[in-house]
Amino acid sequence: MSGEVKIIEKKEIPLGAVMLFGFPDVGLVGVIAASHLISELENIEEVAYMDSKLLPPLIVLHEGLPHSPIRIFGNHNILLAVSETAIPADVIYPIMDALIDWGRSKKVKMMISLSGIPIQDRQDLKELKVFAAASSQEMLKMLQEKEIEILQEGYMVGPQAIMLQRCATMGLPAITLLAQCFLNYPDPEAAAEVLKGLASITGIKVDVSKLLEKGEEIRLRARDVMRRTQQEMSKMKKTQEYDIPLYIS
Amino acid sequence: MATKRKRSFFDIIDEYFENLEEWAEELGERLLERPSWNQKTCTIEPLRDIMVTPTEVIVTVDLPYTEESTIKVKPLDKNTIEITAKLKRKIRFDDFGITHYKGEFQTFHCNTRIPVSVEMDKMEVRFKKGILEVRLPRKHGYPIPIE
Repeated sequence: MSGEVKIIEKKEIPLGAVMLFGFPDVGLVGVIAASHLISELENIEEVAYMDSKLLPPLIVLHEGLPHSPIRIFGNHNILLAVSETAIPADVIYPIMDALIDWGRSKKVKMMISLSGIPIQDRQDLKELKVFAAASSQEMLKMLQEKEIEILQEGYMVGPQAIMLQRCATMGLPAITLLAQCFLNYPDPEAAAEVLKGLASITGIKVDVSKLLEKGEEIRLRARDVMRRTQQEMSKMKKTQEYDIPLYIS
Repeated sequence: MATKRKRSFFDIIDEYFENLEEWAEELGERLLERPSWNQKTCTIEPLRDIMVTPTEVIVTVDLPYTEESTIKVKPLDKNTIEITAKLKRKIRFDDFGITHYKGEFQTFHCNTRIPVSVEMDKMEVRFKKGILEVRLPRKHGYPIPIE
């Protein structure tokens, strides 16, 4: 089915970049973080976009011109895949497969998914922890050296889960970064934390103060995307991330 | 002559629950397929969530950009609450770059149905980090003695 998903390149794509993913999920952490990266990083521009009949018949208009809801932004060392709409639960596999195959063809050195992990009573937390899961022992070791806590046991549901598993199978270095966040409400604070985690792993550093200052405005603006994302999360049984797995050795 | 197998009681129950699930999914999707704002009443609908525990119902509502002093939580009947809150300033469509709709909004408004019986008069409300939390103790029947 991944043949039904095309990535159309608009610019020359750098080889050997770090590929990041910011897709709608819990707290919209990945999308908010990706959007902040695009506004803060220098020389980053749209380099490719996704064309697929598996997606709903939808375009996003910016300044009167049509854009695919799933686009890839890039500069000389980053490729950032971001979606401006909730991805239907039943097409996540082919969408992720196509993006991973494309990234592999561009010889990306690492894939990192920016996301969140829901926590009850989130509003009572003063500090948000960032956890990580990785595709290999070497990557886990690197995360531990950077003092990022490993998500040892549990379930992971959504695009980041597919990415991690696929990359582990292919032997491609990959990490999923997860900041504690609200399940169903946009969480710019969590996005700021995940970006701090990204900085310590890759050196891709951006100032997150604007993200925190404009937090309430972002939450107001992100309501509709969150509403659609809630529905897709419910279809993919996202709350299973709260479950305790039965360990089979 | 082919004989039609009589449906068992369990088949009927299974079918009932399947229909109920389909209906709930359809209703959820239909509820979503409308704007989250109302130009006539100048209100926007907040994101909200309901959690039912054995002892209470917890309703949370995302109310960013609001003044705490303007938040009102009002029981409408024995299982519905109305929530309103004023935004810190009027929000217009063009604040979000949208020019093909006109209108401005200054209030969050929603009515939330509580799915189980609760004691409305024992409602507890708190507001933290832009999240309103309404706690309603569940009504309980009488204990059945274990012999």
